[in-house]
Amino acid sequence: MIRFSISVFMVIFLVLQGMAMSLLPAKIVYSELLVTPHWVLCLIMIIAIFFDKDDMYHSVWYGLLFGLLIDVVYTGVLGVYMVTYAMTAYVIHGMQKWFHANFIASVLLAVFGVAIADMLLYVIYSFVQVTAMDWGDYTTLRLLPTVLANAVFFVLLYPLFKNRVEQWSDRWQSA
Amino acid sequence: MPSLFRRKRLMTVLIGFIILVALIGFSMRDRSELSVPEKFLQDSVGWVQTVFHSPVQLVDNAYQNIQDMLNVYEQNEVLKTRLDEYKGLIQENQQVENDNQELRDTLDKTESMRDYTPIQGTVIARSSDRWFEQMTINKGEEHGVEKDMAVITSEGMVGKIESAGAFHSNVQLLSGFDESNKISSWVVREDEDNAFGLIEGYDSESGRLLLEGISLDEELEEGDVVMSSGMGGVFPSDLRIGTVEEVENDRSGLTKTAYVEPFADLFDISHVMVVDRDMQTVSEEELEEGDDQ
Repeated sequence: MIRFSISVFMVIFLVLQGMAMSLLPAKIVYSELLVTPHWVLCLIMIIAIFFDKDDMYHSVWYGLLFGLLIDVVYTGVLGVYMVTYAMTAYVIHGMQKWFHANFIASVLLAVFGVAIADMLLYVIYSFVQVTAMDWGDYTTLRLLPTVLANAVFFVLLYPLFKNRVEQWSDRWQSA
Repeated sequence: MPSLFRRKRLMTVLIGFIILVALIGFSMRDRSELSVPEKFLQDSVGWVQTVFHSPVQLVDNAYQNIQDMLNVYEQNEVLKTRLDEYKGLIQENQQVENDNQELRDTLDKTESMRDYTPIQGTVIARSSDRWFEQMTINKGEEHGVEKDMAVITSEGMVGKIESAGAFHSNVQLLSGFDESNKISSWVVREDEDNAFGLIEGYDSESGRLLLEGISLDEELEEGDVVMSSGMGGVFPSDLRIGTVEEVENDRSGLTKTAYVEPFADLFDISHVMVVDRDMQTVSEEELEEGDDQ
């Protein structure tokens, strides 16, 4: 049941991520800056921080599954988001042990997670020649705006999901 | 579960890398059709997208209607002044069409590359990654959509079908075109023959298409209209693409390159038409069969 609810939220974010691009006013979304919503990743990181205890790796599996779904639906190049999101979830899960799970620490983790995920995407897509940007352009046009936009989204997401996810985690462990 | 990642971390990373390379290799090669699981996933997500999209669409439409109503008076004035001009044009057009029909009849040529059947569709999502200029529409193979068909709006051409699922398909926008998807096109000029060229790419800095391979002795002017020629074998002819903005000699100095401003707004798209060319398109398989005989 818990797994089902998490998946439903993931799918909703996945769909909203694509709708945001087609429905928000074109002037905001299609400026020079290549802002990329990583909303699914934000939710995966919340799972990694608040749901997974030390020996649980649910976030990694969600990363694999919904990363692949993003690949199929939005890019057509399979495996890239899948591996990226799974690795990010693993790294965030590993780092989460060193921090107290409070608001500021989680936002910092999220900023770090989005940054490494987007850089990984950039590296892989450069290798397969989907993009030909250089590092300077990439950092100013895509990395910084993307990290900022997703940090804002994570801050909005945090109060809505933190307690809910912690409850799910307790229920999961007692079951 | 715990041991899987901790003790075999190296193994996992290696296997992950191999899977990544295999998957990329599988999906980047020139495929004529999506695999069945991909189609299934695309359609399932498509339905969810449609469910989420319809209420938003409703609000969007209502807002649009209100805005339209506010502008009605001004538009009416402008249109009235235009109306008289058009009356003459319509008659002229009819005359020309009749002439054309008669000439075609005498030639026994009934099919034209210009004819097409439009399939109306709505955009339900756009790729969240800006490096992929793709969008999803709510029409698929069941409605007659096939890979490589042209996609247009009322303003002009916007792209082509990248992959078709059963009920939804992905559109590759003009802004994502590269050398592997060329459009054979004409530059239409007053008092002169059409000049031939190929749309071969998109200059993302200036937001203009690159029309390459124009021969050196053709004189193009700013504002000349670029249309598809239908010679590529897939698109019908006379789809409006854009206007010439700037012409320069290309690097080798043997041909000219024109920068073309597309007619259609490639960012704000909500309704599209998929263009199904009436004249038989020659597919590669048929060509191969022809060679065997």
